[in-house]
Amino acid sequence: MKINHYLIGFAISSLFRRDAKSFFIIFIFTSLIFLLSSILFISNSIKEELFITLDSLPQITVQKLQAGRHANIEISRVDKLLKLNGVQSAIPRVWGYYYFENAGVNFSIVGIDSFDKQYKKNFEELVENIDFDELEKNDSMIVGEGVKEILSQNYYKDFFNFVKADGELKKIKISSVFKSSTVLESNDIILMPKNLVLDIFGMSKLKVTDIVLEVANPQEIPTISQKIKNLFPDTRVITNSDLRVSYQNIFDYKSGMFLALFVVSAFTFFMIIYDKASGLSSEEKREIGVLKALGWKIDDIIKIKFYEAFIVSFISFLLGIIVALFFVYILQAPLLRDIFMGYSRLKPAFELPFILDLQTIFLLFFLTIPIYIAAIIIPSWRVAIMNADEVMR
Amino acid sequence: MIECKNITKIFNQNRHNEQIALKNINLKIKKNELTVLRGASGSGKSTLLSLIAALSRPTKGEIIVDGKRVSKMLENSTAMFRRENIGFIFQKYNLISTLNSYENIILPTIPSNPNEKELTRHVDTLLEMFSITNKKESLVKNLSGGEQQRVAIARSLINNPKIIIADEPTANLDKKLSLEFIKTMQKLKQQNRTIIIATHDPLFFNLNFCDNIIEMKDGHI
Repeated sequence: MKINHYLIGFAISSLFRRDAKSFFIIFIFTSLIFLLSSILFISNSIKEELFITLDSLPQITVQKLQAGRHANIEISRVDKLLKLNGVQSAIPRVWGYYYFENAGVNFSIVGIDSFDKQYKKNFEELVENIDFDELEKNDSMIVGEGVKEILSQNYYKDFFNFVKADGELKKIKISSVFKSSTVLESNDIILMPKNLVLDIFGMSKLKVTDIVLEVANPQEIPTISQKIKNLFPDTRVITNSDLRVSYQNIFDYKSGMFLALFVVSAFTFFMIIYDKASGLSSEEKREIGVLKALGWKIDDIIKIKFYEAFIVSFISFLLGIIVALFFVYILQAPLLRDIFMGYSRLKPAFELPFILDLQTIFLLFFLTIPIYIAAIIIPSWRVAIMNADEVMR
Repeated sequence: MIECKNITKIFNQNRHNEQIALKNINLKIKKNELTVLRGASGSGKSTLLSLIAALSRPTKGEIIVDGKRVSKMLENSTAMFRRENIGFIFQKYNLISTLNSYENIILPTIPSNPNEKELTRHVDTLLEMFSITNKKESLVKNLSGGEQQRVAIARSLINNPKIIIADEPTANLDKKLSLEFIKTMQKLKQQNRTIIIATHDPLFFNLNFCDNIIEMKDGHI
């Protein structure tokens, strides 16, 4: 079928003839696409970042419960856990939160041992040149970028004086900073030798915070979890899929809140657009009448209205997406990102990874453009099916 | 060529504001004739013209043009009928004020996706014929009444219609421009077109090239 360039030209000229209305609609439509796509882009990027983090989480974490609360677990249980079939490694972890009063933030302190090979391997990915022996010898620590920044702001550039459980001060040197690429997971972390952590927190050397397990066959995780529950009824066994669900729930909760806001804002935007775009003025109605009187068929009129609506909505869609890409990935989504990430002073300074999810773009395309086109075509069609004489009167 | 059989047109039928515009009109207009419909405002002239041009449908009766029952045609067929056969000059010209003369003139041809060169040549001929070549690019809202009317006539001729219908064409013109319009109609008649003019302008009642004068009153002939 030969494309009728005159019809397309007429549609374009119609848009220019009603320039104020056209530009208003393009502005509103672009803003809507920009908002929706920005939020979906941010959400996709954070989700991607979270999945990367979740992949590095332990397969099984064993924690002791006392009076329904998390309590430190006996290190002697490590050997018993190792005896369970399918368990490849069991690593006792010492960690906790240290409240830094000056800044009003909590740091996560993680204790490591140079002989905890698996554990060491995990953290080697986080630090560029880690020397575990040096850490042990010199009472030093590795900190996340957020921690480093907060400490620097409080004049602790090379060291920090921890207040121990008994009230004494413990000076720990800052040895290095985690790689910036891992900032989302390491931003608030302080990594130091296990003995130092036990000292700061005043913990018994016979107890640890929890024990993480690695299993040979991931399919066996539920079975091994059940065996642990049977062996130690006072424990809570957390699998990586439990963590995944829990992280996902928090994330989905925020996304859900936004989705509800989207629906309301999208609805409002569409009401405005519908009102502005579909309400045919008497001049537009007369124009349709004239065109009909001059021999235009209903489908000719529908075609120009389709072209007009498609041009407006497609330009707005492209503009909205381009502005959103610039806003999210170049400007790093100021304000909007805070809403997703929370307002912590230890807010990670990580970069939103560039994730171009075509599915999201198609979803936006099909949720906006056809609705807008329908909002334009239906009222025009209603006028076009009337007798030309009746429309012009 | 044009035959109206027992045409009745009722607006707002079966409503409190029902209005009978035409009552049992029977009319025959032969090919190449110039017919003047005369009558006061509200006599039904414009309604009859819009029925012949298939802009609306009669409540009763039928209209046959060149053997085709236009009043019974489907919507798209009536559009094609208008495009191919009718050149309508409206009382208020019905130009699109934000388009220029050229764009207004080509409007009836747009759905047929015409050849650009041929179209431009045809438009230039019409612009020359009506002495508005210098107004080709001017927005019609900036043209005088006479110039607007000439654009409207050029538009009505762009598809070489066999039938020209003009509704009160001189209502907004002074005598000089009205006489110019009459000359144009004479030229078009010489080109073997069938012309129907609805008017109450006395200038049309003594034309030597007029074939029929039909008096209308209260929806009757």
